[in-house]
Amino acid sequence: MALPDPNTVPLRPGFASRLLNWSTWVVLVGLFVVSLQQTGFDVEALTSGSQDFVRFFRRLVPDWTALPQIWRPLLETLQIAYLATLLGTLLGLPLIFLASYNTTVNGPVMWVARSVLTVLRSIPDLLYAAILAPILAPGPLPGVVALTIFTMAVLAKLASETVESIDPGPLEALRAVGAGRNRVIVYAVLPQIAATMTSFVLYIFEINVRASVVIGYVGAGGVGFLLLRYLNFFDWGGVAALIVVIFAVVLLIDLLSVWARSRLI
Amino acid sequence: MSAHISFHDVEVTYPGGLKALKGVTLDVPRGEFVVIVGLSGAGKSTLIRTVNNLVVPSRGDVTIDGASVTRAQGTALRQMRSDIGMIFQTFNLVKRSSVLRNVLAGRLGDVHPLRGLLGLFPRADVAYAHDCLSRVGIPEKAFARADALSGGQQQRVGIARALAQKPSIMLADEPVASLDPPTSHAVLRDLKRITREEALTTLVNLHFIDMAREYADRIIGMRDGLIVFDGSADQATDQAFEDIYGRPIDESKDLRGAS
Amino acid sequence: MTTAPIPPTPAHVVRTRWLLGIGLVLLLALAVLALVTMNLPTWSRVQSGLARNLVPLLRGFVNPAWHVFELASTSMLETMFMAVIGTTIAGVIAFPLSFLAAGNLLGNARFALPGKGLLVGVRTFPEILLAIIFVAAAGPGPTAGIMAMGIHSIGFLGKIFSDVIEGIDAGPNEAIRAAGGNALHVFLFSVVPQVLPEFASSLLYRFEINLRAAAVLGLVGAGGIGLPLIQRLQFRRWDEVSMFLVVIVTFIIVVDTLSSSVRRRLV
Repeated sequence: MALPDPNTVPLRPGFASRLLNWSTWVVLVGLFVVSLQQTGFDVEALTSGSQDFVRFFRRLVPDWTALPQIWRPLLETLQIAYLATLLGTLLGLPLIFLASYNTTVNGPVMWVARSVLTVLRSIPDLLYAAILAPILAPGPLPGVVALTIFTMAVLAKLASETVESIDPGPLEALRAVGAGRNRVIVYAVLPQIAATMTSFVLYIFEINVRASVVIGYVGAGGVGFLLLRYLNFFDWGGVAALIVVIFAVVLLIDLLSVWARSRLI
Repeated sequence: MSAHISFHDVEVTYPGGLKALKGVTLDVPRGEFVVIVGLSGAGKSTLIRTVNNLVVPSRGDVTIDGASVTRAQGTALRQMRSDIGMIFQTFNLVKRSSVLRNVLAGRLGDVHPLRGLLGLFPRADVAYAHDCLSRVGIPEKAFARADALSGGQQQRVGIARALAQKPSIMLADEPVASLDPPTSHAVLRDLKRITREEALTTLVNLHFIDMAREYADRIIGMRDGLIVFDGSADQATDQAFEDIYGRPIDESKDLRGAS
Repeated sequence: MTTAPIPPTPAHVVRTRWLLGIGLVLLLALAVLALVTMNLPTWSRVQSGLARNLVPLLRGFVNPAWHVFELASTSMLETMFMAVIGTTIAGVIAFPLSFLAAGNLLGNARFALPGKGLLVGVRTFPEILLAIIFVAAAGPGPTAGIMAMGIHSIGFLGKIFSDVIEGIDAGPNEAIRAAGGNALHVFLFSVVPQVLPEFASSLLYRFEINLRAAAVLGLVGAGGIGLPLIQRLQFRRWDEVSMFLVVIVTFIIVVDTLSSSVRRRLV
C-alpha cells in the first residue's frame, strides 16, 4: 500500500471544521460579553471598592465567646446531614435499580424512573429546603426531607452508570437458576457495586454536610440560622467565629471521607 | 419413552434480521449426554438457550416433559428454570462473593423468597452446597473469593452451583473454551461423571472434535442455524465433521486461513 | 437425604461478619440517636402545617402562573449569565494554578502540596456561605454571587485540572525531548494538547453545577432567580413559585443535555 501522495492530500483541516471552530469561539466570547453587560458585573467597582472590602474583612475577628451558642446547632447540622444521607441512600437504591436498563422491570417503568430522577436532580438542594421550610414548619425536619430527596437524585446520577456497566454474566447465570429480579439484584448486582457505592455515599455525605450548614439560613435547621441572626445583628465577631468553626468541621469531614474512600478501593 | 426435551421446529430471528436458528426439530431422551458441535455462529449457543428460555424462539416451541418452556412466564418459568442447571464459557460467577455463596445461589430458585433476599439459607441447603463442592473436588475452597480460583476451579464452582439446583437437565455453553486442554479434559470428565451419577439429561456445546467424540453419547452437528448431523460418536467420522464445518479437518491442511 | 455435617466457618469469615454486623448496628444506633435528640416538631404540628399549606401548594403547583413567565425567564437568563462569568473567570485563574498543583510537572510530588492545600481550602468552604459573606461585604446583587461562584469554582476546577495533568501520558513528553525540544516545547506540544479536551469537558461540567448554584444564590441575596423566588416563597404564592420551578427545571435540563452531548464529543 503506497503512502498517500503529499501533493493531493490536504494538510490543513477542511474549511468546514475551521469555520466551526471559529464560530464556536465567536459565540463563546460573545456570550461572555453579553453576560458581563447583563449582570452589571463591574470589575471597576470591584477594584475601587476593594478598600471597603478590606475594611469589612478587618472587622471579621472571631469572637470566641460565641462558641457555646454554636455547638448545639452544629450538632444538629451534622445530624441532618447524616440522616439525610442514610435515608436518601435507602430510598434511592430501589429507584436506581428501576432506572437502570439491566435491573429494571420493563421499559415504561425505567422511563418513568429516569424522568423522575432527572427532574429531581435539576432542583438545587437549598431550593428544596427553601420550599419545604414554610410547609413543614421551620426546623430540622424540612432540612432532612430536602436533603434526602437531593441525596436520592445525586446518588442515582452517580450510581446508574456503575449499575449499567457491571458484568452481565452473573446476572444471566442467576436468571438461568430461576431467581427472580430481586434475588438477582441482591446476589449478582450488589456484590459488584458495593465498594463503589459506599464511596459514592461517603462523597454525598460530604456534600450534605456542606449543604446542611447553609440551609438554616432559609429556615431548615442547623447553624445557618445562627448565621442569619448574627448578620442581622451585625455581630461580626460571631459571624467570624462561626465561619472558622464551619470551615474546620467541613475540612475535617472532607479529610475523613477522602481517607475512608481511599481505603475502600 | 417420550422425550425429555423436545424442539418443535424452533426458529430464532434476532432483531436486525439475523436468523440464528432456521427450524430445528429434535428429541432428547432422558439421561442422554448430547454434544453439539459447529462453527461459531452456527446457532449452538442460541439452541441451548432456548431450553431455559434465555432466548425466546420467534417461532416454534421447546417442551420439557411435554410442558412448553417457550410459553412459560413469571413464576412458572422460574420454577422450570430451577430444574435446569447451566454452566457458561465465562463461568459467570459473582467474582467478589465467596465460592460458597456462589454455590448457594443455585438454591435461589427453590428457597423461600425472604430467606433468599436476606441470605439466610436453611442448614440443609448449606450442607448440600458443601456437598456439591466436594463432589466437584474442591471442598476446601468454600470460603475463598470466587475470583481467587483458577479457571478450571471456577468452572467447577459453576458446576457445583448447577448441581445445587438439584436439576434434571444440565446445559453447558462452551464450558471449556476458556481453559487449557488438560484442564478442559478434567472438567469434562467431571461433568460426565456427575451427569451419570445424577442421571441428568445433558446438552453441551463444544468446539473440539476429539472431545466431542470422546465424551458424547450422541453428537449433533449444526451449520448456519440447521442440524446437519445427528448420530452416535462412532458415526461421527471425519467426513461427517467436514460437512459440519464446511471445510477439511485434515491436520496437514492449515485451518487458520480461509479455505 | 441425611444432612451432612457442615464444615466450620474459618475465623476470618466470622470476623468479617461480626465487623459488618457491628457496623450496621452502629449506623442504625446513630440514626436513632440523631432522631431522638434533634428538635423535631411534634406530629400534630407537622400535621397542622401540612393541612394549612399542602393543599394551596398542590393547587398552585398544578396551575403555574403564566403571568410571571417572562419575569422567571429573564431572571433565569441573568442567572445563566452569572454562571457564565463565574465559570469563565474561574477557568482562567484555575488554569495556571492547576499546573502549580500537579506533581508530575513540578518534578516532585511534594512541591505540589501547598498548591493542592490552597485548592482544598478554597473548595471546602461552602459556596453559599461565601455568597452570604460577599453580600454582607459588597451589598446584594449578582456581583457577590459571581465572586462566590468564581472562587469556589477555582478550587473545584483547580483540583480536576491538576488531576488531569497528573494523569497524562508521559510518552509524548519523552518523544519531544528525544527530538530535541526544551521544557516549553514539551509543555506546548505534549501537555497542553493532551489536557485541553478534558479541561473543556470539566469546565462545562462545572458550568452545569454553577447554573444550579447561581439559581440558589439569590435566596441569600446574591442575584439571579433566587431573589424573586424567595419573595414569592415567603408570601406563599405557590402558583408563581411553581412557574419559577418549571422555568428553572426546564432550563437546567436543557443545558445539562446540551452540555452532556458536547462533552461526549470532546473527550
